[in-house]
Amino acid sequence: MSDVPADLPEAAERRFTEGAFTSGLTVPDFAACLQMGLEPVGYVQGFCVMQWQWYGMGSPFGAFGSPYAGRSRGYAESWQCPHGFVSAEHRGWGQNYEQSWIEDAWRQGFDGAYGRMLGEASTVGAHGVVGVVDASQPLGDLGVLEFRVQGTAVKVRGGSLPADGRPWTSYLAGQRLAKSIEAGFAPVSIAASVASVRVWAYCVTEYLTEGSSGSWGYQVPAAEIEQTSKAHMAVRRIAREQVRAQLGSDSLHGASMMTTERELGQGDAELQCILRGNRVRRYKAFDPLPAPRPTVRLL
Amino acid sequence: MSTVGGGPPPVDLSAEMAEAAAFLSKPTPSAPSSPASRSARTSDLSIDEEIALHSIGWEPLQLVCGATIFSIPMGVWNWGQGEIGYASNAYAQAFAGASDQLHRECTKVGGRGVVGVHVEAEVQRHHVDVVLVGTAVRPVDSSGLSADPIFVSDLSGRDFSLLLASGWAPLGLAVGASFVYAPRRSAGMAMKQKSQNVELTNFTEAMYSARESAMERMQQSALSMSGTGVVEVKVTEGPMEFARHAVSFTAYGTVVRLAADRHRSLSPQMVLPLDDPVQEFDITSLRG
Repeated sequence: MSDVPADLPEAAERRFTEGAFTSGLTVPDFAACLQMGLEPVGYVQGFCVMQWQWYGMGSPFGAFGSPYAGRSRGYAESWQCPHGFVSAEHRGWGQNYEQSWIEDAWRQGFDGAYGRMLGEASTVGAHGVVGVVDASQPLGDLGVLEFRVQGTAVKVRGGSLPADGRPWTSYLAGQRLAKSIEAGFAPVSIAASVASVRVWAYCVTEYLTEGSSGSWGYQVPAAEIEQTSKAHMAVRRIAREQVRAQLGSDSLHGASMMTTERELGQGDAELQCILRGNRVRRYKAFDPLPAPRPTVRLL
Repeated sequence: MSTVGGGPPPVDLSAEMAEAAAFLSKPTPSAPSSPASRSARTSDLSIDEEIALHSIGWEPLQLVCGATIFSIPMGVWNWGQGEIGYASNAYAQAFAGASDQLHRECTKVGGRGVVGVHVEAEVQRHHVDVVLVGTAVRPVDSSGLSADPIFVSDLSGRDFSLLLASGWAPLGLAVGASFVYAPRRSAGMAMKQKSQNVELTNFTEAMYSARESAMERMQQSALSMSGTGVVEVKVTEGPMEFARHAVSFTAYGTVVRLAADRHRSLSPQMVLPLDDPVQEFDITSLRG
């Protein structure tokens, strides 16, 4: 088959041609898919395992050992110590910056797994993939991160592939997908992005984070920790901008924003924000559904 | 149009899906662009919430957020008396800062308010972190600024729709928090109580004190917005993990006001589901 990806295992190709379909759908979702004219054709998966650690010299994503000398692009903001030169230990300068090499590595892992799942879906002649689940998790203590994307490939009865020749995808399945279609939104693809921001605290951030006013008495002990607040805002803004850049004139529905913070020292931190959701395209004019009728259940 | 039974006409989902697939198979006039397209909309509402919003003529615009980290000075959690003012103030300031940013982002995208706000508030020994994330919304096809102030609400899309349908309007998030020292017991009292199951009145009183201050602040916040009440109040209370002799009480909810002439009854219809819940064997029942 011409559109079989080169890295699809032989066994997978053989399995997909055996006739019986596999699916990750629950029975209610399976019934709803049939109601929509979607026929499941195979449970498709894509994996990508990436080396994952603090990138050093020689890495294509590397920062060359220096926190300030990396190939960082995008957001960067600096803070200057208000106290003047105090000592070598005094943090006279602080910076927030986007760790674009980590975002690139995450994108490589996610896109690799996603592309392989789409390759499997194309192999079985699917028009779309529903009920997509994606995850990234460390494999043991090996400094290795596994990206996994999987879902149920479906054919649309009497339908065809999207214009770009790649199956559409959606985190939704069953009734929720049916409601989205009924409301006038066609699924285009899942959309996901990661943003990573590093906080190198300067003296004021360090003092405020440890609750002190410093030895110099310039700092009010109760105040907003501006550098950290801005990092929190920036990491969420970058994730949203990256997803919006994927959307064109489409919309993102059911977005999920997950932010984690790793403390690396007094005031120092690494923030990561993963944003994912369903990219949808309006295929018919706005036509509000009838107002839902309030009900009280008698149990 | 409605059927004999009064419900909406049945929808041919198969035809709708085929129409959607046919639409996708046509080339799109606008390919994804970078930087972000101005017309791209983002929302963390579920499809159910979105449909509920559309049913009352509102639409989601953009995912918006606000975050503020406010410091707490060293030593304030040590033994003392009364309220821990620095901590209570830090909580209020962090919440206000995050809420202000949410307002600014909502204004920037042309929203009339923010619904479904997820509140993440974390009190640590030396700082309070508050992050608010929600979806900016507006009436369908409305544009330009409204005379009404922007509202922020943690109500879901469904609850927001019900509230508006019944003639009420959300105004904003009201917040109250108080952190109070539990007074020290005398050595004699501590020894006496050690061997008895008795009420520790110092903790009970501290809890009541924190609760009254926090609830009072939340109500004052609601009144300052000209609200008539607060719905969906969520409270947390208990001793601080890193300072067991201090108790906290936090409360927040959505301030509402009657926007119509009078409350409109929704007259819910009673339904009796006929699907029996599946009775599954409970393995723990064997333990006796």
